[in-house]
Amino acid sequence: MFQLLQAKVVENSSIMVQQGKIYIVMSVVTIILVGLFIYVATVDKKIAALENNAKD
Amino acid sequence: MLRARWWKILSIILLLYTCTYGFLVKVPKLDDRLQESIRNFFFHVPMWFGMMILLFVSLIYAIKYLRAASPVHDIYSMAFASVGLLFGVLGIITGAFWANYQWGSPWVGDPKQNGAAIALLIYFAYFVLRGSLIDTEKRARLSAVYNIFSFFMLFPTLWILPRLTESLHPGGQGSDGNPGLNGKDMSANMRTVFYPAVIGWTLLGVWISTLHIRVQLLKLKKEGLL
Repeated sequence: MFQLLQAKVVENSSIMVQQGKIYIVMSVVTIILVGLFIYVATVDKKIAALENNAKD
Repeated sequence: MLRARWWKILSIILLLYTCTYGFLVKVPKLDDRLQESIRNFFFHVPMWFGMMILLFVSLIYAIKYLRAASPVHDIYSMAFASVGLLFGVLGIITGAFWANYQWGSPWVGDPKQNGAAIALLIYFAYFVLRGSLIDTEKRARLSAVYNIFSFFMLFPTLWILPRLTESLHPGGQGSDGNPGLNGKDMSANMRTVFYPAVIGWTLLGVWISTLHIRVQLLKLKKEGLL
C-alpha cells in the first residue's frame, strides 16, 4: 500500500471530488466539530465560574 | 496552563483546518476503494497518536505521584489515562469501520488490531483496579504502579508484536513487516494535513483532560483536602 501512497501521479481523480459531493461530507464534519467545540468551551466556562466561586 | 487559552484556540484552528482542507487536499492516485477512503487517515491515525501522547503524560504523573504522593498528581494521571483510553476506543472503532470497507470485515485478526485490543484491555483493568479500591491513598498508589506497567505493555502490543508477522496495515506486507507509520511513505500533500491533525486532536484530548482535572481539584478543595 505504501508503494501506492507514493504513486507519482498526484491528482484528485476521486469520484467524490469530481462530483463535488466531498463538500457535503466536509460540511457535515465541520458542523459536528463546531458543535463539539461550542459544547467543550461552554463546559470550560462553567468550570471557570465554579473555580472563581471557590476562590471567594 | 490549565486555564490558558492560546492552546485551546490552536486546537480549534488546527482541527477546523483538518476537517476542511483534509477533504480537499490532493491525495495520490490509489486503487478505487482506498482512493475514496484514504482521508480517514486524518482521523483514524491521529486517535492512536493522541492516545500514545495522553497515556505518556498519564505515566509521567503516575511516576510523579509515586515520588511525592500528592493527590493532585493522581488526579492528573487518572484524567489523562481516561481521555487517552477514549481516544484508543475511538481509534479501534474507526479502524473496524474502515477495515469493514477496505479489508472486507470489521475484525480480520490483523496483528495490529489484536495488539491494540489487548493494550486497551490492559488499560481498562486500570479503571477496574481504581474502582475496586475505596481507600484513596491505596487506590492512588496501586493505580500509579499499575499505570507504569500498562504503559510499558503498550510497546510490545502496539509496536513489537505486530512487526513479527504480516499485517494488512500500511507497510505490513511481505518483507516490509513493519506496520507502523513511516512519515516518508506519506505523500507530501497528505503530510501537510496529517501532522496538524495529530497536534489538533491531541490538544483537544488535553483540553478535555484538563476539564476533568479542574472538576476533581474543585472537589478536593470542597472536601478541604487541598
